[in-house]
Amino acid sequence: MSVDAHREAASGGLWSRMSLGRKQVIWAWGFLAVPLLFYAVIRFWPTFQAFYLSATDWSLMRPAAFVGLENYKRLFADPLFWQVFRNTFMYLILGTPISLLISFVVAYYLDRVRFMHSFIRALYFLPFLTTAAAMAWVWRWFYQPVPIGVINDILSSFGIPQQPFLRSTSQALPAVLAPAVWAGLGFQIIIFLAGLRAIPVTYYEAARIDGLSEGAILRRITIPLLKPTLVFLVVFSSIGFLRIFDQVYNINTNDPGGPLNSTKPLVLMIYQTAFSSYEMGYAAAQTVVLFLILLVISLVQLRLMRDR
Amino acid sequence: MATIELNGLIKRYGQTTVVHGIDLSIQDGEFVVLVGPSGCGKSTTLRMIAGLEEISGGEIRIGGRVVNDFQPKDRNIAMVFQNYAIYPHMTVADNIAFGLYRSKLSKSQKRQRVEQVAEMLGLSQLLERRPSALSGGQRQRVAIGRAMVRDPAAFLFDEPLSNLDAQLRTQMRIEIKRLHHRLGTTSVFVTHDQVEAMTMADRIVVMRDGRILQVGTPLELYEKPIDVFTARFIGSPTMNLLPARLRDGGADLAVGGSVQVPSASATTSDILVGARPQDLVPTAAGSQGLTVSGTVAVVETLGSETLVYIESAGQTVIGSAPGRQIPRIGDHLTLHAPLERLYYFDKVTEKALAAQ
Repeated sequence: MSVDAHREAASGGLWSRMSLGRKQVIWAWGFLAVPLLFYAVIRFWPTFQAFYLSATDWSLMRPAAFVGLENYKRLFADPLFWQVFRNTFMYLILGTPISLLISFVVAYYLDRVRFMHSFIRALYFLPFLTTAAAMAWVWRWFYQPVPIGVINDILSSFGIPQQPFLRSTSQALPAVLAPAVWAGLGFQIIIFLAGLRAIPVTYYEAARIDGLSEGAILRRITIPLLKPTLVFLVVFSSIGFLRIFDQVYNINTNDPGGPLNSTKPLVLMIYQTAFSSYEMGYAAAQTVVLFLILLVISLVQLRLMRDR
Repeated sequence: MATIELNGLIKRYGQTTVVHGIDLSIQDGEFVVLVGPSGCGKSTTLRMIAGLEEISGGEIRIGGRVVNDFQPKDRNIAMVFQNYAIYPHMTVADNIAFGLYRSKLSKSQKRQRVEQVAEMLGLSQLLERRPSALSGGQRQRVAIGRAMVRDPAAFLFDEPLSNLDAQLRTQMRIEIKRLHHRLGTTSVFVTHDQVEAMTMADRIVVMRDGRILQVGTPLELYEKPIDVFTARFIGSPTMNLLPARLRDGGADLAVGGSVQVPSASATTSDILVGARPQDLVPTAAGSQGLTVSGTVAVVETLGSETLVYIESAGQTVIGSAPGRQIPRIGDHLTLHAPLERLYYFDKVTEKALAAQ
């Protein structure tokens, strides 16, 4: 739109009379206009549409009628919502620290390994490239009873009783979380490795001359200098766990959400409300709640971890 | 404070030997500069003294103790790195205090020591700042402060001035030298810059290809280089080396003319006659000296003097003229150097025949 206007101006000789700075600004806005337009139409408009829908009772079949905060009232009164809310936070509270701890430890030691370094790194990255559906199937088999399930095979060889895993209300959520953590590990390791590589070697050498032990170097130099990497990964992986869906959906295809909804996260609830019950307005309200949770948690994390 | 002795020091990386059995004895309180082109093994040698590189052979003694298998922290040395290695997430005071990490001093004593060092380096106003708020020179001073605060047996400097701009480098050079005079701590300084070596060192160690070529005071190296490499490396601009052929009592220069050669024991009759640009001037010299004439190709005006590049028989010879007498390009110019300022080298072995 604005681009055309400028083109016309250019042919009129106005373009040649403009200052260099002004021309640069026009070019910049010209290029920015394309993604801006795209985002406005594809992203922002549907987002605002969702806010509006959350205040209606739209169900695909009949036109939407405005119901105010009715959907939200219903949601907060729904025991399933609170169960799902708890599950989602369990994914977050367990998943983020565990995955970050494992990936940091792996990256910290892998950084020192010269032997087949790239190969090992590639091995860790492989799950990240695999589709969640395939991965979920493999893990589903892992969790089966003897003789199919590898994990129960190993347990029984040690004389430990069979575990129900996915069929238990208490074990199902950690059992679903494990492949999710495993799948994200490769990415986090790569980012940690890049962060570790960015720390100049002389920092460590100076510390060794000053007499710091390995532990003190890790605590006083490596971790503080990794803070930007850490902030990024905490926020990134938190969002990932709050939005967890495909791992959960695929590992229990016949019964998505696990026994008694013990593994059901918020996104799965939204999916089922929208595409099984066709209650679009209600689903939109759930989406808005998820959006607010993500926003608040990300902002709080950024706030807490920002540099002084 | 301590002496440092290297005996037959060797460093190998797999099959490649990068330091070939170095012997060097550094006196207590001495300021020694290791200088040489990149890859000559000077930094590796320094890092072996620090304990950051393992030793493949030989022995290092600091203060008489063999420290071959000591951890860096147990050698009581302090090191200043090229990129300063000061921690961006700590204040200046914390960075300096890091040097006292292992000391048994109380917190207030440490604080006092840090303030004392900061005072000495003019950092008192900056103690609560972060390194990102400091200039390059100030950062380097913080790094020196961290090294000083512990009162180590020796300072090791690994090209500490290379990241600074020319003006700051000159200033820091003077500051480090002044500091050394004040503290009198044994110091080993690595650089590839011969000007730094000449201006700072009590003794210079010239290295090439993992070997020591020559050790001596700056003036000794300047006056009596033992081979062509040292002769060309020390002094700026580089010494002129003119091929010549020995004959009875003298030598015929390839650029024309002849010079007297005092006593010669060359392996062949081919020699190189050396003359520093500062000694090669357009005033008439005695008949015994070196005389070169040619056309002026390039003139570099420095103010204090003027460097003149003349072309003579296909060779470029650098001479110098007084600052205010600037020859014109294309002029014919004759340069002279007195006999006692000439250097003679064997062309084959590149060793000095007899200096002066």
